[in-house]
Amino acid sequence: MADFAQTLMTALAIGSLYALIALGYTMVYGILKFINFAHSDIVVLGAWVSYTLANKILPMLGLNPHNPETAPPLWVGALILLSAMVACGLLGFAIERLAYKPLRRAPRLNVLITAIGVSLLLQNIGQLNYVFGASPQKMPALMPNIDLLRLSLPSGDGYRDVVIGLVDVMIFATSAVLMLVLEYLVFRTKLGTAMRAVSFSTDNASLMGIPVDRVVSFTFVLGSSLAAAAGFLYVMKYPGLNQPAHSIWVLLGLKAFVAAVIGGIGNVRGAVLGGFVIAFVEQFGAFYISSNYRDVYVFALLIIILLVRPTGLLGSPVREKV
Amino acid sequence: MTANPAPPNAAVPSSKETGKPLLHVDQIGIAFGGLKAVQGFSLNLPTGALYGLIGPNGAGKTTVFNLLTGVYQADSGQMLLDSQNLMGSKPHRIAAAGIARTFQNIRLFPGLSVLDNVRLAGQLRSSHGLLATLLRTPAHQAEEAAIRKQAFDLLAIFDLQDRANEPADSLCYGHQRHLEIVRALATGPKVLLLDEPAAGMNSQEKVELAQAIRKIRDQFQVSILLIEHDMGLVMEICERIVVLDHGVIISEGTPAMIQNDPKVIAAYLGGGVEAA
Amino acid sequence: MAHSAPETPAKVTMQSAETRRSHDSIWRGLLPLALGMVLALALQFVLPAIVGQYNSRIVMDIGIAMIMAVSLNIVNGMTGQFSIGHAGFMTLGGYTAAMLTYYGSLYMWGAPPAHGHFLGAGEWMMAGACIVGGLVAAGAGYVVGLPSLRLRGDYLAIVTLGFGEILRVVLQQTSKVIEDPAALKAAKWSQLFPPPVGGAIGFADVPKYTNLFWVYTFVTITVVVAYRLKNSSLGRAMISIREDEIASQAMGVNIARNKVLAFVLAAFFAGTAGGLFAHESGVIISPKDAGFQRSFDYVIMTVLGGRGSITGVMLAASILTALPEMLRDFEQYRLIMYALLLIIMMLVRPQGLFGIHEIWQLWPGKGTRTVQKKA
Repeated sequence: MADFAQTLMTALAIGSLYALIALGYTMVYGILKFINFAHSDIVVLGAWVSYTLANKILPMLGLNPHNPETAPPLWVGALILLSAMVACGLLGFAIERLAYKPLRRAPRLNVLITAIGVSLLLQNIGQLNYVFGASPQKMPALMPNIDLLRLSLPSGDGYRDVVIGLVDVMIFATSAVLMLVLEYLVFRTKLGTAMRAVSFSTDNASLMGIPVDRVVSFTFVLGSSLAAAAGFLYVMKYPGLNQPAHSIWVLLGLKAFVAAVIGGIGNVRGAVLGGFVIAFVEQFGAFYISSNYRDVYVFALLIIILLVRPTGLLGSPVREKV
Repeated sequence: MTANPAPPNAAVPSSKETGKPLLHVDQIGIAFGGLKAVQGFSLNLPTGALYGLIGPNGAGKTTVFNLLTGVYQADSGQMLLDSQNLMGSKPHRIAAAGIARTFQNIRLFPGLSVLDNVRLAGQLRSSHGLLATLLRTPAHQAEEAAIRKQAFDLLAIFDLQDRANEPADSLCYGHQRHLEIVRALATGPKVLLLDEPAAGMNSQEKVELAQAIRKIRDQFQVSILLIEHDMGLVMEICERIVVLDHGVIISEGTPAMIQNDPKVIAAYLGGGVEAA
Repeated sequence: MAHSAPETPAKVTMQSAETRRSHDSIWRGLLPLALGMVLALALQFVLPAIVGQYNSRIVMDIGIAMIMAVSLNIVNGMTGQFSIGHAGFMTLGGYTAAMLTYYGSLYMWGAPPAHGHFLGAGEWMMAGACIVGGLVAAGAGYVVGLPSLRLRGDYLAIVTLGFGEILRVVLQQTSKVIEDPAALKAAKWSQLFPPPVGGAIGFADVPKYTNLFWVYTFVTITVVVAYRLKNSSLGRAMISIREDEIASQAMGVNIARNKVLAFVLAAFFAGTAGGLFAHESGVIISPKDAGFQRSFDYVIMTVLGGRGSITGVMLAASILTALPEMLRDFEQYRLIMYALLLIIMMLVRPQGLFGIHEIWQLWPGKGTRTVQKKA
């Protein structure tokens, strides 16, 4: 019981991270029909920008970034989160304009290869000594390590404490707010309508006077800032910050992409659903079967879903025009 | 025509003798979502026949071709080629069974040469597998040579043999349409489906095309079903015509009957509403 | 092909031509292989004397990269699928082959270090193990290729990437290598799960048999196979899938079968390359070799060389293997250069250096023009 509750808490927190990242994949795929391989690197960048900012700002407030006991006021965290989102949003805009826009009419495989190129570029520039460096770092604590709730639940023979920490709740709450904002943007605003029109047919949308380029740019800015938020929240939960080209980041991005595919790629609500499904499978599999193979469960689920429902849980079938 | 390739299906007993049509289609239909694209389509195509399929834009003509070739799976109905059931078959099985087609929006393999576009069909009847290919056994070599010779013979129908080594997309539009027909013939079909073969051609080219289509039918003993918007061409060469509108057959008969059918005229003029 | 077409003109003419051919044609079919082996022998004995041991070693690495890139090109270049898990097949084959020779040597000769001289028993065991490794990798290629029947290009990319990463994770969970011959003889079959191949630190002490002769013999086999495939009915069927799947089906191409065949073939050669890699001196094959970074190296070679051009890909494999060795001091910039190269290639010359042509087709006067590919 206690174990179950604890795993559930972790799954909810991790699931909202996957969902945030998956949203970026799914929006870009919906509009431009290619996997933005560089998306996971934006997450990494969000994490490292947060780290860099924290190390600059905390000393200004007279705090020692290396002391986990002293947490700054919450507005510092919010400021860093917003700055990282803005920085990554701008970068997403630049990447789209420089690398992807010239290939708007090229075969999809070429765009995919370019995306891999951008991904490698971001990783390895990040690794340079005068950028972020190639050694792992420790993220300063930006939130007090408070237990919001401590429950004693039956576990095996006795009782065990289940802790619901501030960090978990903050991750869940921040993601929820961001997802609601996105939901509003996509389904309630004129810009969102334009986005959906472009994803339906780029050519028709431009004939109807929709500024396709601006919509695509906006999509990248939106997706990239969500990715930055995910990167920030990720290092809040796991402060051990890996080097930019570490494969742990690639797996994080890969799993988020799997979440988007499982939910039905191109479908915004599907991405959120997929994120939580993946997190539940991973966390419960890790706890009840073996934690060594947690990545294997996710990919096994992907293959099963693709074979049973190739368009994902919420996706709609597409036909090629002959 | 200089060369005279053997008719690919000479050994197959003609269904004319058995009295049954070569291609028997009964009440096939398909719906996309709620839209019934084609409904209750039936057709009996005898051996060596030359039929036309006409109708206003969006009537579902190409959808019929896609159903016949397995690109779309029919929701209902029956499809028999020489008594062989084709319902639910994959496109490559249907091609192997003997239905070949051309595409309305030309779909050649642009990165392959003209010759290779035609030679590709050779793999369909090839009896040699991976090992023979990799070891280049004499039998395999001989077969490749035969495929090559057959491809040149077929290219000669439209005088394309001199351009065999050029990339397919370097041909002009009309030649690309010709190459599509040659490529379809190379599979050794019993039934040939031509989707707007005259599109974009001038009147002189259309006359030549009409002659070529007749010649192909006679020489290869294939049955031909063609979609065409040029009424002059259709009325001239087709023995029977099927008229489709909104996914259903509204008329069927000889060119003379079709020309005088008020339903057909109404469909094309749209009662003055869709005249444009 | 299993189609049972009754009487086709191809078959009729074929039989008459067959009788005209002399029976030694089957040997003529093996001639390129013999030539390649002679060249490999020459490399083995002449090259180290001319360029020295260090450079010979680079030439060996180039050979392995060629096998990888040329085989990957069957999937990515010819068939137009997109696999980014090729290093996974390589590593799977490598571990399989290494297990066979390591435990084989320990069992038969009581010690794992290299046994026998040039072309001795040990080397033949290694060559056999490489082929078994290739077969195991081909089996994995079949399983990974299956989703390609249901998935479009970029989804497939994710599945292949996932395969490599999962293999990496699984290999990290393997158990320690058995070092004592007595312990090996006492070992139970159940100890094969998980296999004793060294876990996260890699499989050390694999006997080092790989030399220029064996590498270039396998290069020859790979290149001959790829070339013959490209110029055959089977290969044209694969290329037609790359060009237009719907038209390809309409021409009777069984696209499912051909896609899986491409995967199986490519995985087989990657597996043999992995075997050679695992037995190369100075190499400890480890789980990270299965990861995406190594796979990307090979993808870059195929993109740079030209998707479909065998010689172009071989040239790209040579350049991209030799260059980093010469630029050792700039190691951290190597991948940045790769990345820029990829992006600029896609913007400026997306068809690769040679497009779909071979080197000799680019010579002036041959009458072949560059085909601008649009997929």
